[in-house]
Amino acid sequence: MSDAALRKLGYGARLDGNQVFSAPWEARAFAIALRLSEAGHFTWDEFREHLIAEVGASDKIRARDGTSDHGEYFEHFLRALEKLLAEKNLAE
Amino acid sequence: MSGDHHNTEESGPAARVKAIEELLASKGLIDPATVDAIVDTYENKVGPRNGARVVAKAWTDPAYRRRLLADATAAVRELGYAGPEGGHLVAVENTARVHNLVVCTLCSCYPWPVLGLPPVWYKSFAYRSRAVSDPRGVMKDFGLELAPEVEVRVWDSSAEIRYLVIPERPAGTDRMSEAELAELVTRDSMVGVAKVAPPKRAAR
Repeated sequence: MSDAALRKLGYGARLDGNQVFSAPWEARAFAIALRLSEAGHFTWDEFREHLIAEVGASDKIRARDGTSDHGEYFEHFLRALEKLLAEKNLAE
Repeated sequence: MSGDHHNTEESGPAARVKAIEELLASKGLIDPATVDAIVDTYENKVGPRNGARVVAKAWTDPAYRRRLLADATAAVRELGYAGPEGGHLVAVENTARVHNLVVCTLCSCYPWPVLGLPPVWYKSFAYRSRAVSDPRGVMKDFGLELAPEVEVRVWDSSAEIRYLVIPERPAGTDRMSEAELAELVTRDSMVGVAKVAPPKRAAR
């Protein structure tokens, strides 16, 4: 993807649009969530519902304010994980 | 901690993930080595090269193409690609008349076994919010302008189904092997935001 197209998607030059993870913590948060679901502590669908709720809340604000995100997807991902861990009493 | 949005050592995401991992490890719920292995898999092993092999095979093997269009989950499993987020895969084929574009409007659903994890732009609000309402505008951002008579079909992955776009085989590739063809196929072309470019050698 070209830099110009990336800028249009609202990232500026900070992020490589082709990256899967932009920091090591993103990769670990992903792997922890996937591992817990594989081990049966929750289903991936349960996790996805929490993720959709976090992303959706952010989308509403973006739509209202007319702003673009800055690649904060994994911040939503982490909050979804934290909430699900709390619900499942896994983080005590 | 509530109300503290500063990215300090205690409350920043890296520290929060570290705290979660340490807590879960201390309870025996996860093994950090297993987490390492998953990270390695999704950073280095599962990625769009898998999908590129699927597309190249579909281009060169008509029977495989038919199987892929009929049941993509089974067809990619023939090549050894299966796993999380690969449960119900549908292949959609681009032609001179139809162009397919894939999005997940609600989050980030994506066919992991064939494309790996989605890139940053696929998860962006800009892409997710515009791909359905203005697909041609989104494609233009990626440098892809389609003729007005081409029908654009947008597939929203947010249900159970994951989509793989089979891009059009470019001209000038008749003599190329399946392996050479796979080298041409990009991730963006399998999401539908790009076409597969003809081989550079053809210009020689």
